[in-house]
Amino acid sequence: MSFEDWYRQDRLPHIYCAGCGNGTIINCTLAAIDQMGWKKEETVFVSGIGCSSRAPGYILTDSLHTTHGRALAFATGVKMANPCLNVVVFTGDGDLAAIGGNHFIHACRRNIDLTVVCMNNQIYGMTGGQGSPTTPIGCLSSTTPFGCAETPFDLCELATAAGANYVSRWTSYHVKELEKAVRSGLETPGFSFIEALVQCPTAFGRRNKFRQVADHVEYLRTHSLLKAKRDRMLESGEKIPGDMFVVGELTRRNRPAMGVKP
Amino acid sequence: MTSRLEFWQGNTACAEGALAAGCTFFGGYPITPSTEIAEHMAAKLPKKGGVFIQMEDEIASMASIIGASWTGARAMTATSGPGFSLMMENIGFAAMTETPCVVVNVQRGGPSTGQPTMSAQGDMMQVRFGSHGDYAIIALCPATVQEMYELTVKAFNLADKYRVPVFLMADETIGHMREKILIPDKVERVGRKPLMRGTLPFKADADLIPGFGQFGTGHHIHVTGLTHDERGYPCATNPKLHAALVQRLVDKIETARYEMADYDIINPESSKVFIAYGAPVRTVQQVMHDNKDKDIGFLRLRTVWPFPERALARFRNVQEFFVPEMNLGQIAREIERHVKVPVISIPKLGGELHTPADLVAPLEAHQ
Amino acid sequence: MKLAIDETRCKGCNLCIKVCPYKIFKEGKNLNRKGIAIPELDRPERCANCRLQYLYGRQICGVCQLICPDQAIHWVEEEPYEPHKVAIEY
Repeated sequence: MSFEDWYRQDRLPHIYCAGCGNGTIINCTLAAIDQMGWKKEETVFVSGIGCSSRAPGYILTDSLHTTHGRALAFATGVKMANPCLNVVVFTGDGDLAAIGGNHFIHACRRNIDLTVVCMNNQIYGMTGGQGSPTTPIGCLSSTTPFGCAETPFDLCELATAAGANYVSRWTSYHVKELEKAVRSGLETPGFSFIEALVQCPTAFGRRNKFRQVADHVEYLRTHSLLKAKRDRMLESGEKIPGDMFVVGELTRRNRPAMGVKP
Repeated sequence: MTSRLEFWQGNTACAEGALAAGCTFFGGYPITPSTEIAEHMAAKLPKKGGVFIQMEDEIASMASIIGASWTGARAMTATSGPGFSLMMENIGFAAMTETPCVVVNVQRGGPSTGQPTMSAQGDMMQVRFGSHGDYAIIALCPATVQEMYELTVKAFNLADKYRVPVFLMADETIGHMREKILIPDKVERVGRKPLMRGTLPFKADADLIPGFGQFGTGHHIHVTGLTHDERGYPCATNPKLHAALVQRLVDKIETARYEMADYDIINPESSKVFIAYGAPVRTVQQVMHDNKDKDIGFLRLRTVWPFPERALARFRNVQEFFVPEMNLGQIAREIERHVKVPVISIPKLGGELHTPADLVAPLEAHQ
Repeated sequence: MKLAIDETRCKGCNLCIKVCPYKIFKEGKNLNRKGIAIPELDRPERCANCRLQYLYGRQICGVCQLICPDQAIHWVEEEPYEPHKVAIEY
């Protein structure tokens, strides 16, 4: 058994652009689910709207492709009505943090036993490249043609502050670590949030000087700062460059959870 | 069938009707005047093994009941005007994905925040056309506390049979009043048509209703709000497919309108006929009682959408229809489409019920 | 086992070339019928999974398969007696 068996083979090849990081993240998530030994009959994928949220359409399980930003509310209904189902949510940065911000905060607060994989490409890819709440300052997008002027969210900090049990961040370069992180998230009862920074070559990369897919992935690799190193740097008083982002398991705790399988 | 006698508030009767019908999930948000339904469900539903969850807003409430419905639960929510407007996108999603669910709208004075504690019937057009695009729904209107109970049970059965969101359009008067109610021993339950193995999940039978493939039973259904083919896969750029899908969603309800139509006809030979639904029914009943010598007929609607226009044709000698409503003539407009005689709308805004004098005055003006 | 790239799926993003720890790929030069230059196997004998999957009974490495956004990389059984290069490493 490998993660390939979880795909709807009649729907591949998928609609994602050449080099899109979403394909990678779906592979890692399915590999982690496969390792958990879950059955297809008891797994449900829920997603909102966007490139990331097209993923459940390619996976051979029951899935719910809902309205923009509301994936977590639908997933809450599914999980609370039948806690024996394993529910995994695919969202994107805009779907989760912009229109879905309220549902994100409350799902973390309730600590519902869900696993959320957020494919953060820092842009609205499906609709042509508009700015998102995670677009870094100064980056170009179709609605920020003079450079983004708004401070972006740190989704992992938001999840931690709102009460999630497991929060971690990796990129589409760190495939093995991401697979392990998703695996930990699936095992941890309560709300598990895994943010995966991905490359969007067509919308983000094209506008922000990443002409090759490999260049953007190289950027993600060089600008990720392992959590252990960040802690050491903080202790020794070194300054952390502003464009680096921390990767690794950022939060793991045991707050009371809702909707756990009995 | 024995029954017991109770003295209940309308909202309590609605919640008890839902429990009797087998509701196992309630996801709601408090809003006057429907909060009592949520509170009653919060106390009673967990005792019966169901799930009550107070969501963060009405959008999440509607979303959670759709999610719960796909796991096989009978799911319901209750709200009023402002929350109803918020739910519209997800109501469209439920209609498009053919998800059975029940939404109770205890109407209050609108628009906007309006009159939270006063009665109105201002959402009757919104319930039919509120979400974007073409779709069809079922709307039931109770006029007594007894009907709050019975129509809630009926709403669940219709939702499961036709795989559509069904709306119970009560108003603050009926929701908050206390009245005698006879509780039957048991209620009829009509379940969902199951999906047969090997059948495509969104392929409809002759009655235009596909089988329901519950999550967790190995059907591997992909449910999406995008235009989808019979396998459930998105096919948003296929014109014929979209036209066929939307037509089927509308025909599924509209062609079955007479099977589900529920109305009372009194004095079909009269020349002056009242048509009413919800709270104004009570005023019409008072007028008919006080004026037995006059030639007045009455069409009391319990199913307002899909509109049962054949009921109008039963009044062969009618010269005018009088439609008292607590809005500016929303259903009067629908009636006008179907008849050639004058339709006189008797609107009443402000939250108070029509008085008998309000109804008799137009009658006499049109002698 | 040998590694095969599915031509119907590969879109030529070259991420597999970037991540392989054993550097077994190189960029393709010839365009196929879809106009994509799919990566070629430069040193397939260094692929850990191809060599060791049978020995250990499970998949080894597999980073290229995980990162490929189009699920184009698979390992397939080899024909018996198919000649292949063997590298002896000290």
